[in-house]
Amino acid sequence: MSARAGSTESVSIVDVTQSFRFAAAHRMHNPRLSAEENRRRYGRCNHVNGHGHTYRLAVTIRGPIADETGSVEGRALLAEVVRERVLERFDQANLDDLITPADGVTSTTEVLTLLVWRLLDETLPSGRLVRLRVEETPNNFFEMDRGD
Amino acid sequence: MIRVTKRVEFCAAHRYVNPRWGEEENRRRFGKAVNLHGHNYVLEVTIQGTPAPDTGMVMDLKALKDLIGDAVLDRLDHKNLNVDVPAFAERLPTPENLAVVIWELIAPRLTDGGLYRVRLHEDDGTYVDYYGGGGRS
Repeated sequence: MSARAGSTESVSIVDVTQSFRFAAAHRMHNPRLSAEENRRRYGRCNHVNGHGHTYRLAVTIRGPIADETGSVEGRALLAEVVRERVLERFDQANLDDLITPADGVTSTTEVLTLLVWRLLDETLPSGRLVRLRVEETPNNFFEMDRGD
Repeated sequence: MIRVTKRVEFCAAHRYVNPRWGEEENRRRFGKAVNLHGHNYVLEVTIQGTPAPDTGMVMDLKALKDLIGDAVLDRLDHKNLNVDVPAFAERLPTPENLAVVIWELIAPRLTDGGLYRVRLHEDDGTYVDYYGGGGRS
């Protein structure tokens, strides 16, 4: 098989994006601040008993199309890596039990995005992950690119 | 510069078989995708340019729709990609390769640099982006 039949051009580089979802609870709260200041900063996201979201991830890998599979190298692994590193950890879980002070001050989706990036990037083939989008709701989403 | 996108849908059948591998190896690598099956594809074609002073448009979207119809849909819609599309005689009809093939069908019909991106959704939640050439640096 030839990725570009009858051509000597270099192989094509494409981006492949796959989507996943998980359901998790959290509460935005900085224990160093007063109850009043937490309420002021985080509003209803600071609700004392917590709340939750169905988070949606869009994970983008970039690479050359491998001749023999017609796919970007690593694509076959992607769903498995996301399941093992992210979904098994965060689905049906309380993010506040899993996000540590080293990750960030509280379970904002910015902090979650940085953590999910690290979990995926250290497992996928080097440099493959190029973009991550985490949707907390369809109206609020957070993105980062390699190099950000 | 402004980017303008036209979205179209098409339906096609395909199967994944690498002729260099035996049936067992193909089935191990590709699973049920070795069987002929089909998808409702969603194609987003994005062009980039500056609006013309006399029309206020980068490109007439009706013209872009017609171009996609002639260049892509007439060849791919309600077809068997493996059998009916010469480009897949020697490439697997994956969404990655399909995005590249679609780029190659459209790009020659547009001004150089006009085509910015081909985005192909094979199923809800999975899509491929191709920016031409060696890809996006």
